[in-house]
Amino acid sequence: MSKFLKTIVSVSFFMLLPLSAFAVTFVSWGGAYTESQIKAYGDTYSDPDSIKFENYNGGLGEIRAQVESGNVAWDIVDVLPSEAIIGCDEGLFEDLSDVAWTDAPDGTSMADDLAASGVTIMPPCCAPQIFWTYVAFYDPDNFPGNWNGAQPTGIADFFDVGKFPGKRGVHTWANAIVEMALVADGVAVGDVYNVLETAEGIDRAFAKLDTIKDHIVHWSAGSKPLELVKSGEVVMSLAYNGRVGAANMSEGENFEYIWEGQVIEQEYICLMNGAPNRDAAIDFMIHASSSESQAEQAKYITYGPMRASGIDIIQAGEPWFHTGVDIMSQMPNTPDKIAISVIGDPTWWADNGSEISERYGAWMGS
Amino acid sequence: MEANISTAEQILTTDGIPLKDSLRKTERRNKIKAFLLVFPLLLFILITFVVPIIDMLTRSVDDKQINTVFPITFEEYKKWDRQGLPPEEVYKSIYLELQNGEPIKIGRALTRMNYSKSGWRSLIKKTGRSIKKDKGIIHESYKDRLIEINEKWADPTFWHALAQMVEPYTFVYYWNAVDRTYDSDLNVVRQSEERRIYIRTWIKTFKVSVYVTLFCLILGFPVAHLLANLPLRFSNLLMIFVLLPFWTSLLVRTTAWIVMLQQNGVINGVLVWLGVLSDEGRIQMVYNETGTLIAMTQILLPFMILPLYSVMRVIPPSHMRAALNLGAKPFTAFTRVYLPQTIPGMSAGGLLVFVLAIGYFITPELVGGKDGQLIGHWIAYHLKTSMNWGLCASLGAILLGIMLILYWLYNKIVGIDNIKLG
Repeated sequence: MSKFLKTIVSVSFFMLLPLSAFAVTFVSWGGAYTESQIKAYGDTYSDPDSIKFENYNGGLGEIRAQVESGNVAWDIVDVLPSEAIIGCDEGLFEDLSDVAWTDAPDGTSMADDLAASGVTIMPPCCAPQIFWTYVAFYDPDNFPGNWNGAQPTGIADFFDVGKFPGKRGVHTWANAIVEMALVADGVAVGDVYNVLETAEGIDRAFAKLDTIKDHIVHWSAGSKPLELVKSGEVVMSLAYNGRVGAANMSEGENFEYIWEGQVIEQEYICLMNGAPNRDAAIDFMIHASSSESQAEQAKYITYGPMRASGIDIIQAGEPWFHTGVDIMSQMPNTPDKIAISVIGDPTWWADNGSEISERYGAWMGS
Repeated sequence: MEANISTAEQILTTDGIPLKDSLRKTERRNKIKAFLLVFPLLLFILITFVVPIIDMLTRSVDDKQINTVFPITFEEYKKWDRQGLPPEEVYKSIYLELQNGEPIKIGRALTRMNYSKSGWRSLIKKTGRSIKKDKGIIHESYKDRLIEINEKWADPTFWHALAQMVEPYTFVYYWNAVDRTYDSDLNVVRQSEERRIYIRTWIKTFKVSVYVTLFCLILGFPVAHLLANLPLRFSNLLMIFVLLPFWTSLLVRTTAWIVMLQQNGVINGVLVWLGVLSDEGRIQMVYNETGTLIAMTQILLPFMILPLYSVMRVIPPSHMRAALNLGAKPFTAFTRVYLPQTIPGMSAGGLLVFVLAIGYFITPELVGGKDGQLIGHWIAYHLKTSMNWGLCASLGAILLGIMLILYWLYNKIVGIDNIKLG
């Protein structure tokens, strides 16, 4: 009996070993996004088999639970920028200020490379990943007759139900829509967060939101806006740009973006504090944040590299998409688009996120 | 064995012990065995159920995460009369505690401070960077120095927001969960108007749960009755119709309802085609409360039908026949003979559906649109996004409290022994 038990214990021990000791666990959002990371970072890495990709549902909840209990199972986590900041403050992620990130092909440092994209503060525990955006889009093949042939060109048109009648698809949380409301109300894209610093600025954004309140269909899953627009349930919707890009590039759709007034969000990969495979994980993070890896990712999904040099590589390498078609028109962060976009400020969101979310919830339900 | 017991009074066992004692011994041994058998389960429940609940209840009143970070500041703060700006001592102690504190602990405190007043996070972080550079310098007035670093230090609202964190244990999270908060003198005041979200959400959650339970009862009762009384070959087929959706993925069913109900969906399409509705007059049936109610009712219906069915199946048809035979009208026979016998099933189904509905999360989120944020949404939000676990725990504790009260009420009115799942 005891021999039997011993066998069981040792066998299960060895079965657990490869899970925890030999693989760097990279945790991300799943779906097409994780696929693109596997292909662009995992498959191009010197030892692809050493990286294990897992999915989670976002947020810092699981991360804090792991760190608090001292039972850290993950190494690298893909997080939103405000979570990168909060997680770093709380010590859930490890400070990586001393890591030597790779320079761009022309020798530009990581910091300068990011600054060229408009990102001045990088959370010290994380490496840059992609730009993704909240962007408005519509379907020209499904053009409402009562628009009289006019085409929406800016976010102000999204808020103009007089000129462009019809329902709008908007997500059920506050991010980006507050900024967009201000841009639609005439605030310059670079000024949005200065205005939002004051209580009057926030009131102004909500007042603008009031003007389209009765015309909004709220969605909460990323695939929904495409269905809403395709089925004609709404005439325009906000969406994650990568979802629209995937429909255009791979599903033969012909959706039109309204780039002016889009909100560019950052995405980071951060190192868990107490990561079981810390050194191997840092090595992989250096690989994943190189200009080449970031450009490589755009072959599979239309999110933009955060490093400006990544965009240059794509530009020079067109047609870049893995199916052999041009991709720059779908990329959210080409220099001309950055100029007309709000660069999301995660510091402001880390400060005001709870309050604005509660207020947005109250506004939506009233 | 039984025969032995009945004649056991004077009988001794072979080793001379009275049979009674011997039996008691065996019984005790059996009891220990039984306990050892269920012990792993008990341990499992303790670890996965009782401990987390206690942990949650503790977190809902625990404010030590900030108190231990700024102990001297809070001591000084208590002496302050809360008028205007705090005295130099408060500024000096927070300055020094920021300078010498452990960054991670301060980081944890920031999340707490930032919830009571948005902006604390970046104020402390920006200040922290300057203070670190100051290391070794002694200032004449730390108050002036801090205000020089960032003018927000001269904003009394930041200081007033600290009052609610002075004590290591607090009820402020419970007040937050019902749209109240503490002012600087620890009086309970209403939350600022645009942040009042929780009472509204509690009411909405209740309304939806009550309606869904009622609809499930109204729709489930006839179905269960049919299932219980049809000949076996029909009722089996019917049972498959009940169970098939029950086994289908929640997301699939939810999505199917969207396809059915949306303005360009199946139902509206058919109604327009039949000429009942005009093309402009399509009804909005999804992305609002109607959609939530329809989808949740359908998804939770089996939880009502199955307990009802198992109770109805064992009600002898002869009871109804007897009632009719004795001269009762069909309606009277139904309400006075049949219905009372189904109460255990209705109670079980009703309680199950209500409990599931009150914590429902995914379906309302997907089909509810602007009305889809029930209390589960905010619990998840504070757990995952805002990291305000105190508020998260207090919302959960209130939900638990409500369930216990309902259970108690139910036990008073119906009696918990009357519940029957089959």
